[in-house]
Amino acid sequence: MISMRGVEKYYAPDVPALADVSVDIEAGEFVFLVGHSGSGKSTFIRLLQRELLPTGGQIIVAGQDIVRLKNWKVPYLRRNIGCVFQDFKLLPNKTSYENVAFALEVIGRSRHVIRTQVPEVLRLVGLEDKMESYPDELSGGEQQRVSIARAFVNRPPILLADEPTGNLDPATSLGIMSLFNRINKTGTTVLVATHDREMVDSMRKRVIALENGHIIRDQHRGVYGYGD
Amino acid sequence: MAINIGYFVRESAVNFRRNWVMSLGAVITIYLSLLLVGVSMATGFIVSEIVKSVEDKVSIQIFLKDGAATEDVEILQAWLLADDQVDTVNYVSKEEALQRFKEEMAGSPEIVENIRENPLPASLDVTLKDPRIVEDVVAKIKANETFLKICDRPDEPEESLKYGQQIVNRLFAFTRIVRIIGVVFVAMLAVVSLIFINNTIRLAIYSRRKEIGIMRLVGASNWFIRGPFLLEGVMQSLLGAALAILTVLVIQATVLPRLRDALPFLPVDLAAGAMIQLALVLVIAGVVIGLIGAGFALRRYLKV
Repeated sequence: MISMRGVEKYYAPDVPALADVSVDIEAGEFVFLVGHSGSGKSTFIRLLQRELLPTGGQIIVAGQDIVRLKNWKVPYLRRNIGCVFQDFKLLPNKTSYENVAFALEVIGRSRHVIRTQVPEVLRLVGLEDKMESYPDELSGGEQQRVSIARAFVNRPPILLADEPTGNLDPATSLGIMSLFNRINKTGTTVLVATHDREMVDSMRKRVIALENGHIIRDQHRGVYGYGD
Repeated sequence: MAINIGYFVRESAVNFRRNWVMSLGAVITIYLSLLLVGVSMATGFIVSEIVKSVEDKVSIQIFLKDGAATEDVEILQAWLLADDQVDTVNYVSKEEALQRFKEEMAGSPEIVENIRENPLPASLDVTLKDPRIVEDVVAKIKANETFLKICDRPDEPEESLKYGQQIVNRLFAFTRIVRIIGVVFVAMLAVVSLIFINNTIRLAIYSRRKEIGIMRLVGASNWFIRGPFLLEGVMQSLLGAALAILTVLVIQATVLPRLRDALPFLPVDLAAGAMIQLALVLVIAGVVIGLIGAGFALRRYLKV
């Protein structure tokens, strides 16, 4: 589903944000991407979204060589990738329902599809009672659920999350993680960048560890790291 | 697609409301520049109509000096009538000329009253079969010896001839100047309009950057993101164009009748066809300005 070959990214010469990263993630996998701040996690995620282009190397996402992908095709790539962020990125003047519906509206889905899929996905994330609430009326965990609902409403084969629990307390984080787990069970490939040690250790999923832009560890049923 | 168009219109309307001061500025500058285009075009239409009508009834007036011998006048008249190009030749005496002048100036009695002795020369009015050959006939007359003998100003025979082409030439010179001034002003205002639209669209993009970010994130196509902004620019321009067309119509309804009263001898009129052509030009120019202004802002400030 995701394949990187010798990927490197330099923002400034001599300082690699990512260097010689080669990794394969199969369809339906659940992968944690761990590392300190500045280790290259966000760069990794943004390369997959094609927010950034790599300085070198090859990236295949959902069967497409995204380095060579034409600019006007990028939106269609992104429809196959759901994204969740630490700061939720919800529109404050729209309700939960409208926030999720917006994602379908702007890719031209019909009103009928919106009316059926939005309530369904909000039910999936456990917010069927909060559909008409605005983001500032929701707790952080609920806001993150809305943003996950938005990322997943189009049923993308890939879900990327960049520090999804960075702003949440441990109990809430656990709920969010189990939601990712549930989404992963539907066959969606899930990649979560995090430095939430307990979460990674408790889930026992594949863990890719980054340090200074290099992959230092890639293990199945892994843990966050050794004492660092 | 039905939802999309509704969406675009709604978004542009919201943008317009949010930044109405800037939008109004853009609308006004476009309005003014298009109004100038419209007025200079209308003037052009009117003047060309006048030129045409003047050409239609073009005649040559030959002014005769006071006390010219009757037989010389008759010789000249006969010579003119012998030419196939000449249709009629009418002798207008000094008294008749004064009489006509008084009739034309009936609106300004003070001028008429101040005339002590008759300053007007007698003349021969020559009408031609084809107005386009007026210059040829004039050249022939100038070469005629009898004409040189009895013309009003033998030192400058040119001044003793009055014919339509001179008016036509003067009108053309006048319209050329009007057109050049118009083009310069319009070009400057077009640049100002572009800058204004560019700015309003930039503000609109800035105020919606969160939405745009999310649209990019969930894979809205590039044209879907750009659509509302382009539409906003076009809507501002169209509003300006509509105001300009309205103003030209108002001018047509209020100023033209007065002009007609002031210049009864000229056919001052703006045909319906010309008005439609003008409106079309303004609308198209507006759309082009709007698209270019918004497009420029999108290129610079919206990375999609």
